[in-house]
Amino acid sequence: MDALDPTPDRGGPAQPLLAVKGLVKHFPLKGGLLGRTQAVVRAVDDVGFDVLKGETLGIVGESGCGKSTTARLLMRLLEPNAGTMIFDGEPVGENVQAGGLTLREYRRQVQMVFQDSYASLNPRLPIEETIAFAPRIHGLSGHESVVRARELLAAVGLAPESFARRYPHELSGGQRQRINIARALALRPKLVILDEPVSALDKSVEAQVLNLLVDLKAEFGLTYVFISHDLNVVQYISDRVLVMYLGEVAEMGPVGAIYDRPAHPYTRALLDSRPSMDPANRRTKPPLTGDPPNPVNPPSGCRFRTRCSHAEDVCAARKPLMADLGGGHIVSCHMATPDSGHSRAGSLAA
Amino acid sequence: MSALLKANAPPLVKLRDLHVTFRTRDRTVHAVNGVDLDLAAGEVLCILGESGSGKSVTLRALMKLLPKFAHISGGIEVGGRDVNAMSNSQLADFRGGEVAMIFQEPMTALDPVFTVGRQIAETVQRHEGVSRATADARALELLELVQIPSARRRLAAYPHELSGGLRQRAMIAVALACRPKLLLADEPTTALDATVQIQVLLLLRELQERLGMGVIFVTHDLGVAGEIADRVAVMYAGRVVEEGPVAGIMAGPLHPYAQGLLGATVHPGMRGKRLTTIPGAPPTLDVAPTTCAFSPRCDHAEAACVAGVPPLLQASPGRFARCIRVRNGTQS
Repeated sequence: MDALDPTPDRGGPAQPLLAVKGLVKHFPLKGGLLGRTQAVVRAVDDVGFDVLKGETLGIVGESGCGKSTTARLLMRLLEPNAGTMIFDGEPVGENVQAGGLTLREYRRQVQMVFQDSYASLNPRLPIEETIAFAPRIHGLSGHESVVRARELLAAVGLAPESFARRYPHELSGGQRQRINIARALALRPKLVILDEPVSALDKSVEAQVLNLLVDLKAEFGLTYVFISHDLNVVQYISDRVLVMYLGEVAEMGPVGAIYDRPAHPYTRALLDSRPSMDPANRRTKPPLTGDPPNPVNPPSGCRFRTRCSHAEDVCAARKPLMADLGGGHIVSCHMATPDSGHSRAGSLAA
Repeated sequence: MSALLKANAPPLVKLRDLHVTFRTRDRTVHAVNGVDLDLAAGEVLCILGESGSGKSVTLRALMKLLPKFAHISGGIEVGGRDVNAMSNSQLADFRGGEVAMIFQEPMTALDPVFTVGRQIAETVQRHEGVSRATADARALELLELVQIPSARRRLAAYPHELSGGLRQRAMIAVALACRPKLLLADEPTTALDATVQIQVLLLLRELQERLGMGVIFVTHDLGVAGEIADRVAVMYAGRVVEEGPVAGIMAGPLHPYAQGLLGATVHPGMRGKRLTTIPGAPPTLDVAPTTCAFSPRCDHAEAACVAGVPPLLQASPGRFARCIRVRNGTQS
């Protein structure tokens, strides 16, 4: 089985597992008689972050904020317009002669689980063959890959003897999501990108899958990027949290800092939008009005300014710089930068 | 509120031993297996349950919005009228007049080829027989009622031209066009973003209070119930397993399934703790359960649980659970 053992660690524990810099993805909207580009959707606009070894990085945001596009860029299912990705010290997909990772090598170490558990399985393959498919492509024999598939079925809590030969339509949503997780682990990856993995599940099943993800992370020494719109789930599972708004990073930091001391007005509004879970203390006023704007023509300067109660002229004029609040907590807001020109400038500084 | 209303006025909704069975050539599904529910005028009841619990089917039965192959039995009374006995033309007056419904997906509830203003005015004209001009004026009032900004301009908008939150508001406006006494809501905020969901919830709460409507709100989300409900009914395998005021149920559910559901719902402060899960899966409902349907997954199951369907027992005034362990205010 040496063909597909876990790849050895290279850079040591301090080296980020994945370092993303200046990631950009614009989608042209074509139309008109000649199919010319009419407008551009700025889905991801200059996003950068590190994923540290062994951590769970949560990415939250509302629809259209670019979180799923980011997931697809990380997986290289989409080709970015600009930006670099360095996986454990090696650039991804470039300079292969000079030590860069080919996409094939990269994808052996980075795998993904999608929200729609049914659409991401081949309906005509028994599930053990779905799981065994990638190991076989990467050089395991047919027998070895089926053995691995059955081990993984057991690891995700599905008895191989009763589940291995079943087809996706014979399984419940929670069971199918377990299969997707097993398949993602089949190549012994280091990094798993989970794009809304529990959003389509009932609450009791969601809890089972979250517990499973926590167990598998410890068992296989994994690192997760966990993307979700559910703030409670992200708080539960993440070590660090990245808040996205209209294709940009609004705030990033350790989970405790983000949830206890949110600095960006958007993060505060998001947190205050959660139901209170206390009927005696209901929410009385919505923290924000209106829907998130369309990423086709994002507002100038700070993209949140159209919904922000603290917006001033400077917010429209200039894009805020990323301010460091200490302890790895960064925020993109003029109120956090002392000399930004905002009347409350510096009020968020640490 | 519910105690006050229950004392005198007859209930707005009275469901008695409701059964709904779907029979197709391939299989039979016993979706609802004996539901008794009352709703007082002006009260908000949340039906809480997971997929397949029968919560949406119960809601649709109230408006007779189920396909032809659904077999419905039991008493369905809304405003003192027997819904089962209504003719098609009576139903047409009833739906959208006395009772209205809002859905999870406004794009499928609104007609894509008519403007929002026309769809609201059409409802008003159909039910109240007023002139076009009067109906158009009402449409504008309604868009303002649901707090759509620049309402006059939005009257001429087609559904696809609106954002998700505005579409949801437009659908609410259509539903409220004839000032229904009863509003049925089928997960109307589930597909919305967090910051929009809270806006729509608060809007619904405000409209309910202002118009004094009774509301039955189906949801799978305990947090949503906590924001909007007076009373909660938890459904499992086609039956109500627990019922009571929202605060009591959220603070301490009595039925083991409701306890499991609360424990499995991730909320703040659970970080680092292992989530409680409910082992196993709900029954398939190919046959109607003849025992406690939750007993195969229950830690406390004993012989008495499978001797028959447990009755809905009163634990305290207004508080009921379908579990043999509930006895008169205590849990043994």
